[in-house]
This record gives sequence, C-alpha cells and structure tokens, in this order.
Amino acid sequence: MSFLEIANISKTFGNVTAVSDVSLEIARGEFVTFLGPSGSGKSTTLYMIAGFFEPTRGDVRLEGRSILSEPSNKRNIGMVFQRYTLFPHLSVAENVAFPLRVRRRPAAEIAGKVEEMLALVRLESFAGRMPAQLSGGQQQRVALARALAYNPPLLLMDEPLSALDKKLREEIQDEIRRIHRQTGVTILYVTHDQEEALSLSDRIALFNHGKIEQLGKGRELYEAPRTRFVADFIGHSNFLDCTIARSHGGFADITLPDGSALERVAVHGDARAGGRGGLMIRPDRLRLSPLRGENGPGIDVVLSDATFIGETYHFVLTTGWGASVNMRMPASLARADDVTIGTNLRLHWEASDASLFGQ
Amino acid sequence: MLLDFARLGPWRVALSLIALLVGAYLLLPILLIVALSFGSSQWLQFPPPGWTLRWYEDLFDDPEWIASFLTSFKIAAVVTVLSVGIGLMASFGLTRGTFRGRQALRALFLTPMILPVVVLAVALYAFFLRLHLNGTFLGFVLAHLVIALPFSIIAISNALERFDRDIETAAIVCGASPLEAKIRVTLPGIRLGLISAAIFSFLASWDEVVIAIFMASPDLQTLPVRIYGTLRQDLSPVIAAVSTLLIALTAALMAAAALLRKDDRS
Repeated sequence: MSFLEIANISKTFGNVTAVSDVSLEIARGEFVTFLGPSGSGKSTTLYMIAGFFEPTRGDVRLEGRSILSEPSNKRNIGMVFQRYTLFPHLSVAENVAFPLRVRRRPAAEIAGKVEEMLALVRLESFAGRMPAQLSGGQQQRVALARALAYNPPLLLMDEPLSALDKKLREEIQDEIRRIHRQTGVTILYVTHDQEEALSLSDRIALFNHGKIEQLGKGRELYEAPRTRFVADFIGHSNFLDCTIARSHGGFADITLPDGSALERVAVHGDARAGGRGGLMIRPDRLRLSPLRGENGPGIDVVLSDATFIGETYHFVLTTGWGASVNMRMPASLARADDVTIGTNLRLHWEASDASLFGQ
Repeated sequence: MLLDFARLGPWRVALSLIALLVGAYLLLPILLIVALSFGSSQWLQFPPPGWTLRWYEDLFDDPEWIASFLTSFKIAAVVTVLSVGIGLMASFGLTRGTFRGRQALRALFLTPMILPVVVLAVALYAFFLRLHLNGTFLGFVLAHLVIALPFSIIAISNALERFDRDIETAAIVCGASPLEAKIRVTLPGIRLGLISAAIFSFLASWDEVVIAIFMASPDLQTLPVRIYGTLRQDLSPVIAAVSTLLIALTAALMAAAALLRKDDRS
C-alpha cells in the first residue's frame, strides 16, 4: 500500500477541464514534484489534496483512508504558499506556535516545538521579529517551520520560491533538501521551473493539459522522454522538422528539409513511413567542427549569435533551410575564431543523442 | 514635476499666501467659537473683554445639557457597535461573495451617502410614525445606523480587499476552523479598517443634526439638536462652550484616525 494515493481524480470548472483522470502513488518520505506550464493542472491537483477544491471524480487516500470528506483544517497537512502568508500581526515565534495553539497543546510543548522548528530553519535569533521585518526568503523559511510544527505526514509546497530572486532561490532549495533529509516528511512540490524540479525531487510528474504526461526520476524524463512535450519542456531541446523515409523496429531513416538523410534514428512514439516528425537534439550534446572530428551525423550551419554567460557559451545556429538550433558549449572549449558571427560550421552529434518524435 | 514647488520662484510667495488665506478661512470660525467660549461677555462680544470659565461651569451645572451629551454619546456608541458589526458581515459578503448582483447591492448600501439627508429624514420620520419609533432611543439608533453604515462598509471592504486571502487559507490549513481563522487572523489583519469604521460611524451619528431634529422629542435630544433649539431662543455663550467640546472630541477622533493611517504606511 502506498502512502499517498491519488486515484483517477478529475476537476472541471464549468465546461473547462482543469485536471483529467490523474492517478499517482507516492511512497512515505518521497519528494515528488508536479512540474508543468501554467494552466496544466498541477496546482489544481495540489489544491484538491489540500482540500481547497473538491474533485469532480476520483479519490485521494492517505495511508489507505480517503481524506476527501474532511475539511482542510482537519486533514493535518502542512502547506507553504506561493505568496507570503505569515500572520502579519504575530511574531515569528507566534506564527510557528499558531497551529499548536489551535490544537490546544500545552504551553511547555509549544515553547519546545517552536524552538526546535526555528532551529530547523536556522532562524532561532529571529523569534521575536515581526514578519514585516524579515526578507522574503526568511519569511518563506518561517512559513516552512510553521507548516512542519505539527508534524504533518504530508507537506504541500505551491511554488514557494517563485517570489524570490535567483540566488536566494538556490539557497532555499538547499535548505528544503536538507530539511527533507532531516525530517523525512513526504513532500509534494509544485513548480513551473524545470531546474528547481530536477534539483529537488526524487520523482517528477510532468503535467500538460490536465494530465500527467510522464512520471519518473528527473534523469529518466531528460534522457528518455516519452513525448515531444516532455522532451521540449525538460532541457530546452531543439526540434528539426523532417520526413520519415523508413520505419523499422524502433528506428527510422529520415530526410531533413535540405535533402540530407540520417539513418537509424531512435523513435519515440508513433512514426510511420511517409509521415512528418521532429528530430530532437539536446543543446548540450552538440559539437561544432572544424573544432572536432567529423564522424557521426551532422548538418551544415551558420553561426548567427553567440552569448557568453559565465562558464558556458550559448550559440544560436541557423540551418541551410532557416531553422534555428540552440547549443551550449563550455567556455573553456571555445576558441576566439569559433565565436565569429557568420562563420560556416558543421554541427554534429552522436547517433545515440538524437531521437525522433512522430507527429 | 512641471509644477514643482521649488521651481516656482517668486510665485512661491503668492502660493503660500493663498494657502494661508484658505487655511485661515477654514479655521477662523472654529477658533472664534473657541475664543468666545472662554470670553467673559454675555453677548458674544469679540474680541472678548476678559477671560472666564463661567460658561463651562453653567454648562456642567445644567442637567439638560448633561442629559443631551449622554444621549448623543449613548446613541453614537450603540450605532458604532452595530455599524461595525453589520458592516463587517456585509463587507465579507460583498468582497468574498460570488453571487449575482453583488455590485448593485454594494451601490444600494452606499446610497444613504448621496441621498440628501433631509429626504432621508422625512422618509424615516413618516416610516417611524407608523412604528411609533419617533422620539425613542431605538428610533435614533436605527436612523443614525442608516447614515453610519456606508462609512463602515467602505472602510472594512477596502481593508478586506487589501488583505491577502491566502493568509486566512494558511490559518485554515494550520488547523483553525474557518471561523477561528477569521477571528484570530483576518480580523487582526484588517484592524485598522475596523477602527476607522468605528471612528467614522461614531462621528456620523455624533454630529448629525438633520435626522436628529426629526427624531427628537422634548425628553430625548442629542447635543446638536439642543444647540440648535437653544440658539433659536437666546444667544448664550454656553453654546460656544458646548460647540468647543464637540469640536474637541471630533478633532481628537480625526487625529486618531490620521495617526492610524500613518502607522499603517510605515
């Protein structure tokens, strides 16, 4: 029996379907992220678990028992919100104490728990401050302490870092990972940021149009995307339009718009001979000659833009038929004449790094 | 800015002078009344020939003035409590509700503010005649509640709209019942709106005279009604003393409201 079981839940608002038949099983202590673009149903699914929305169909079971009949305040679930939701008239310590006070716990227990929680988020010295005196990152850490103060079996996080700047986001991601390890709490995390999802989660459920497009470890989604949407969303992949010449046993021979042919490309999904498809190549799996040797598949391109972003170069290359390809290369491998705009180059990749998505 | 005060040059003097005159125009009648209330002249002579507290002694010795003061205060206090209570519930409905006709209902609640008071007074008088409420404490309270409620609804709905509802939701997820979350989190969160609703409701009743004239009976007169009645009989400096007390209380409450708003911003 899984710890949290989401069984075939759907949610419709009027005639709009926000979540459509989503099922998911989560183990105790797991960190699962709902990733997806806005409007993909990831937040709606989280809100149904929290009890803000009632599912149109389906069930949510926690340790085998349906929680749908219980109101939010009886579900004993912890939650951190996207916006700052500390109670503005209470001090940091009183905010953390709030869930224990409404549970009528004895004063000594509350004092001990508040101290323990503030130590967990490393804000012991801020106990007496008011929320307005804290930075955004500190406020979200206090919100985390408040959400964990009553030892909830499940912690929901709804884009908790989206209001923070990049550096602070990374800092608090480390904190969240550490707190997850330290407490062993089961976490359901919602984000639209793929890097955040990859760096935090044990497993990722990628949402699209109200359904889970693919569920798996981050590396699986990256290396073995089942659909073009997954490949596109995770890793900012390039897709080159092509025609499928022959299809045979999971591989296909294809023709690119300039007439060049590629043989034995791994196929994802449905690819029929004569149909059209998209050849996926990852920006970080590409190489340019004359820098390197010329073995393997490749195409002729012109360098149309080069951006230096610290440890890497970001290149935009234009193919003979006018399509753009993004590519990343470690700055240490690039030479000055590689980054001259307008240079004719050969772009190539290992056969195993490209795959075909039928349309 | 195009009309930056610092860049006006010689016009600055003219502008300051005009501002000073407008200020004086607004303030002088009030200062005059305050000065007259301490003046020794029986005939409200200005400038006062001497200074005295006699009119205040007369005022506090007269049980009728004291009764009117207490009547006004009691009515205003009850109106304040009812206005904030009803205004709070109405504001929750208007800001959180999703029913049809919400905007129309809000407009309806605010009509007493734009309706001429005398129209309202005549209507209430005619209506209360049938209910035998004219000249009663309850009649006064109900009538003043009509004009106080719009102030409450405006102040409290504005505060509720500014208050992030996710904060209340967070309290509920923390284990508080929806009612407990409102009492322990939302109400403290909108307390400035509640306090200013209370101040403006109190003042709406406290210095209201038109409706009060219609509602008053010989035994039940608010302070503004008694001032008006006394003025018609004789011109006593006691009236200046009463007016000064009225002004002092109003100014104190307005100052409190202004301080709160300043506190909110910081």
